[in-house]
Amino acid sequence: MFDRISIRYKLIVLLGLSAALALLISSAITIYSTYLSESRASLRVLHQLTDVISENMRAALAFGDAGSANTMLASLRADPHVLLAVVNDESGRPLAEYRAARLSGALVSRLQAGVQARILGSADALGRVDGFVEHIDNDLMGVLRPVFFEGAPIGVLAVVSDTGVMWARIRELVLLQVVTSVLTLVLLLFLSVKLQSLFTRPIMKLVGAMQDVARTKNYRADLKADRRDEFGTLYAGFHAMLADIRERDERLSLLATTDALTGLANRRHAMETLQTMLARAQRKGEPLGIIMLDIDAFKAVNDRYGHPVGDRVIQDVARVLQANARDYDLVARLGGEEFLVVCDGGTPEATAAMAERIRAGVEAREVRDTAEASFHVTVSLGVHSAVPQSAQDDIEKMIRAADKALYRAKEAGRNRYVVG
Amino acid sequence: MFPGLLGLMLLLQAPWAWAGDEERKLEAVFIGRFASYIEWPAKPRDRFVITLLDDNPFGSLLDDLYRDKRIHNKPIELRYATRLEQVGETDALFITLASSAARAAAIDHAQRNGILTISEAKGFAESGGIIQLDFVEQKARIKINHAAALKSGLRIGAPLLTIATVLRGDKP
Repeated sequence: MFDRISIRYKLIVLLGLSAALALLISSAITIYSTYLSESRASLRVLHQLTDVISENMRAALAFGDAGSANTMLASLRADPHVLLAVVNDESGRPLAEYRAARLSGALVSRLQAGVQARILGSADALGRVDGFVEHIDNDLMGVLRPVFFEGAPIGVLAVVSDTGVMWARIRELVLLQVVTSVLTLVLLLFLSVKLQSLFTRPIMKLVGAMQDVARTKNYRADLKADRRDEFGTLYAGFHAMLADIRERDERLSLLATTDALTGLANRRHAMETLQTMLARAQRKGEPLGIIMLDIDAFKAVNDRYGHPVGDRVIQDVARVLQANARDYDLVARLGGEEFLVVCDGGTPEATAAMAERIRAGVEAREVRDTAEASFHVTVSLGVHSAVPQSAQDDIEKMIRAADKALYRAKEAGRNRYVVG
Repeated sequence: MFPGLLGLMLLLQAPWAWAGDEERKLEAVFIGRFASYIEWPAKPRDRFVITLLDDNPFGSLLDDLYRDKRIHNKPIELRYATRLEQVGETDALFITLASSAARAAAIDHAQRNGILTISEAKGFAESGGIIQLDFVEQKARIKINHAAALKSGLRIGAPLLTIATVLRGDKP
């Protein structure tokens, strides 16, 4: 499923998911951290309240003044979150109590029992001047603080409050966090839609170029990109790969069309080229000259001087042919010691003149056997020139005619050309 | 019949005669606690002296309570006097004198010497005493004559004034 989606949408989805996950984690941490700090802050407020009350309560406790103690606790009604406040005297009996008007009787009894149980269970903590007991849960929080007079405990003050303020702040924060997260997510998605092109554009450009190359087989496409990042490396790699393919194609083409020993066109390429030249000559009504050439007594050369020297003889003859042919003529090695020269626009006279130049050139060329010894070879040539009338028939006809002329040159004693 | 009624009236004028043990204990404790909320003019004494003038309704209670205790960081010395002339230099004077004239004389002496006066006698604060302490239904009632305290050079702490009935001038 995922591998069918475009990389552009994958990037958007990944960026969106990453952002959402990051926001979720940071929001969870923020909310939990706020819960901790708010619970500490709420308890701190309750501590401050009990500190102030216990300081004022000291005289009332010292003189057992329940009326003053009740009056002091009654001031807690200003804080709607305080549910219960109790002052026990030094014998543990309640001296004064405040309870919020909204509390039901059952809840008051439960809170009173809870406070008294906690006072009884925290004798050690409440026996120290700086001692206190604090408690917080989802619904309630409370602080118990001993009241000391002249170094001796004379009572305990307990204040119990709900956690409404804390949860109200946390609710505000959660709401703010949700709104902020949604806005941030939308902004990030918008940015990711815009910014994904930074990554996808070079990839899509490369993909397009690859598709073009695959379709047109044009391995000369220029894919260089002026980048220094990984995309630059990718482009450079693809460009180098195309260059390698070009070089390999050229090498393969060369191997397929040329003769490895002489560098001349091979038989297959020669026939293809001859076909083209013949068609053009036919179209233009111009003559085409063909020279078939064979090295005289080549077997004897091989037998006498060995194949390496024989190869050198073939290479020397090829050089003579190339030296006497024009750029637009075809020079090919048909196999063994047999060569073909096709003269574009070659009249019988011009072709015969070229055959004679070749013959004389070969005859004059000195083939060196060793540093001290050398010898000469000769060639026989069959020449034919005509204006082709039909492409396929004329190739065979012209080659056959040139071949017969070559045969006659051989018959006539070699080292000559014969026009057929 | 008449002497009996007189005796009953005298008993009513001297509350310590019928106060319960619990109240008496509280009273003994309160004397020291009052002192904690009061500032005296600086005196070159190394002890905090509490003197009982006339009858001692506490028995050995005060001795037991204040032995090895300190007020204003000074060790406590308890003295018992039966006549005003016997009251020497003291910080607090608990007056149990039945005669209002005698109490007035003691108050006058205390004011001149910067002494805190405490008594259970009815009308004690109104007549110039500083702290009047009595119990109603086993609950302490404290009445303070703030003007008298100032006249004696004493400063009473706000927490004590908060829980007491305070007379400013001659009226509560």
